[in-house]
Amino acid sequence: MSKINITVEINGQKKSAEVEGRMLLVHFIRESAGLTGTHVGCDSTNCGACAVLLDGRAVKSCTVLAAQANGRKVVTVESLSDGGKLHPIQSAFLERHGLQCGYCTPGMLMSAYWLLSRNPSPTEEEIRKGIAGNLCRCTGYQGIVDSVKLAAERMKEAK
Amino acid sequence: MEEELTSTEKLVRGKGVYVDDIRLPGMLHMAVVRSPYARARILSVSGGLNGNELKGGVESVGEGAAAAASETTEPIFGLKSANYAGQPVAAVFADDLYSAQDLMDSVDVEYEPLKPVMSIDEALRAPPIYSSTKSNIMSEKWRGEEFEIADAPLVLEDEFLNRRVATNPIEPRGLVASSEGSRLTIWISTQSVHSIKEGIVGSLNLKPENVRIIQADTGGGFGLKGGMYTEYLIAAYAAMKYKRPVKWVETRREHMMASRPGRGVKGKMKLFADRSGRVLGLKGEVIVEGGAFSGGMGEFASNFIALQCTGPYLIQKAHVRALSVYTNKVPLGPYRGAGRPEAAFFIERMMDKLADELKMDPADVRLLNATTEPFKSPTGLEFDPSRPFIEKALNEFNYRKRVANGNAGIGFFVLVPALQPGETCRIAVRGKKVNVWLGGNSHGQGHDIFIKKLVSDEFGIGEDDIIVERGDTDQLEDGVGAWGSRTAMVGGAAVVSVARKIKDQIEKEFGEYTPEHLLSNEFDVYTFERQKGSLTSLGGNMASVDIDALGTVNVKEIDCYYDVGRALNIDMVRSQIIGGAIQGMGQTLTEEIAYGPDGQLLTGSISDAGVLNAESLPRFNIKLADSYSRLPHGAKGLGEAPTIGVPCALARAIEKVSGRRIRETPVKPELLVGLEG
Repeated sequence: MSKINITVEINGQKKSAEVEGRMLLVHFIRESAGLTGTHVGCDSTNCGACAVLLDGRAVKSCTVLAAQANGRKVVTVESLSDGGKLHPIQSAFLERHGLQCGYCTPGMLMSAYWLLSRNPSPTEEEIRKGIAGNLCRCTGYQGIVDSVKLAAERMKEAK
Repeated sequence: MEEELTSTEKLVRGKGVYVDDIRLPGMLHMAVVRSPYARARILSVSGGLNGNELKGGVESVGEGAAAAASETTEPIFGLKSANYAGQPVAAVFADDLYSAQDLMDSVDVEYEPLKPVMSIDEALRAPPIYSSTKSNIMSEKWRGEEFEIADAPLVLEDEFLNRRVATNPIEPRGLVASSEGSRLTIWISTQSVHSIKEGIVGSLNLKPENVRIIQADTGGGFGLKGGMYTEYLIAAYAAMKYKRPVKWVETRREHMMASRPGRGVKGKMKLFADRSGRVLGLKGEVIVEGGAFSGGMGEFASNFIALQCTGPYLIQKAHVRALSVYTNKVPLGPYRGAGRPEAAFFIERMMDKLADELKMDPADVRLLNATTEPFKSPTGLEFDPSRPFIEKALNEFNYRKRVANGNAGIGFFVLVPALQPGETCRIAVRGKKVNVWLGGNSHGQGHDIFIKKLVSDEFGIGEDDIIVERGDTDQLEDGVGAWGSRTAMVGGAAVVSVARKIKDQIEKEFGEYTPEHLLSNEFDVYTFERQKGSLTSLGGNMASVDIDALGTVNVKEIDCYYDVGRALNIDMVRSQIIGGAIQGMGQTLTEEIAYGPDGQLLTGSISDAGVLNAESLPRFNIKLADSYSRLPHGAKGLGEAPTIGVPCALARAIEKVSGRRIRETPVKPELLVGLEG
């Protein structure tokens, strides 16, 4: 298998590696960069547990080749918090029961982050649509929708 | 500072440690080569680790464990035959996942495909799959007593089917196995480290003291992760053989093929009644599609469903036949409810049919047949008086007013939790911290929250002083597991029991109990808090729907009224209920594991399998009965209530709006626009 050299900026840090052309971005993030907060939940772009931002847009990193991210910027769940301080979306998930088992959570947080960066005051319906590409089997989504709503209010106040 | 993070805070920071996040030096990745045929003779297998070397079978452990007959036990590897598409025939190992997948090509298997048996009806007609059995019947039992009612004014018969549903936690199954000297250590995503240990020790014939099972962060279970699987045994064996750690995490496609699904049950019901709507007797037949191998839930479920077929009603005569049959599909497993939703669906559909037949309100038929005294049905189902509960529920639902618009359905049930044999707990106090281990392991329900609350209440200390430890068989000598709506109930009782033992010890030693005596000394107490008898609870649901021109059901509202005993944390209770209700909606509307007649899986992805997304979320009205159980902390079962009640209420709501009789789940849109059925 031929290999290629790529450099991806992940959470502000450049990561270079020689990878196989077939390597998926999610595996580059998890295995090469060692950031295991981004999860693999399915192998068919359905569940969204692997969602990250690629040049500011939410993508499912199981359906992007690592090579396609060469020279681009990736943001993962690990960089949402500001050091010890949680991002308002993260603290809202804790307060409004936006998670149970936590496996879908990193992807949910990234999708919510992207949604709120485009639409700071989403309606409940817009939130539901905004996270429709992320599956959660535990919460039944109500807690997640409530969390995103709370986060949106807090983020507006902070501005 | 990371030591200070609570377990949930770790998860929102992406700092959880699930199985796939574990990396050990020299670790091998395992990939499993599976039969592409639902049924085949295997003429030869070469390459990889296969059944020529690793023989033996999978021991049934955990929820619904049942010993299998030797010829029909699931083998670790298919060697002479394959009996479902996805059955493991070999495994390969490499330094990374991609190389492991490449290595799968190095395995050669010669198959002679045979015609598979793919449904319950076919199983009952077809010659036996196994030469050692006379038919495809895996087990047959009866509940209740035979009876005749020659002059019943009304005899209603119907037949129902709940199709198979995948458990689909977002984290699939997985483990890391590591062997050093004589000791095997396994980190695993599980509902019960003790079940896993029992299965590993029993199936691989190891000494219990040489095996340690540690729970990783577990990303949902819903029944899937309590039992033993052949892939666990293969990974454990390989770790011992190659003297290197071995990781295996299933892909979602493997989950669809080879993880044990739930439901897959047919119910034939015959109800005898008088013209006032009073039920005189019930005859039933429950047929569970057990799949390719005996033992476990496939064998256990039919008799368990038969037990519950009488519902929360005063049915004095009942006789139910419980069958499990073999087919060429992955063996059945427990899925949230595990037999309870099927039983409720069958009897509740019949109560609605009875109401329609007599042009009565379905609520009145239920009230008429409800009990005013505690009752044990002829099939063995015990429950509290159901009439006051149903009356209260109808009030809470505001039923009389809301049903007038014609689109609501109701359903009532008895929740039979897995009370017996109880649960274990260990509390060790040292260094001013209280460490707690529980026999059943949280797979995402937030057990930490109620354990901390109970320990804090008992000891009069702050929750910051309490550490809820992960499942670890070296730290807790025995344990049962987290399933069957049991943990808050039996686990909670074990926590309270150990805490009180420590308090007694302090009183004896120091003359009185104070939190200071507790925290400034060391204690280490373990107990297996045994539970006997039954502790059922009642529940009810109402649902309302719209159906569009394409036959798509839009669920508008779901009402829940459940007796959960004392709610230990109201937010967690609500979150459990809504999560379960969406699963119940999924089963009713979209979820199914489907196969073609050739035995090939049609639902290969999590979306094909119908897991609902956030856009389907209805409005919820949740009310809890104000009650307190006989256990010291007052809790009753909860987790499975919504997957039992919601399909019953929803099926009726769909029936009302569509005017079509609903007999199956999922209810396909084709049925509702008249293209089918």
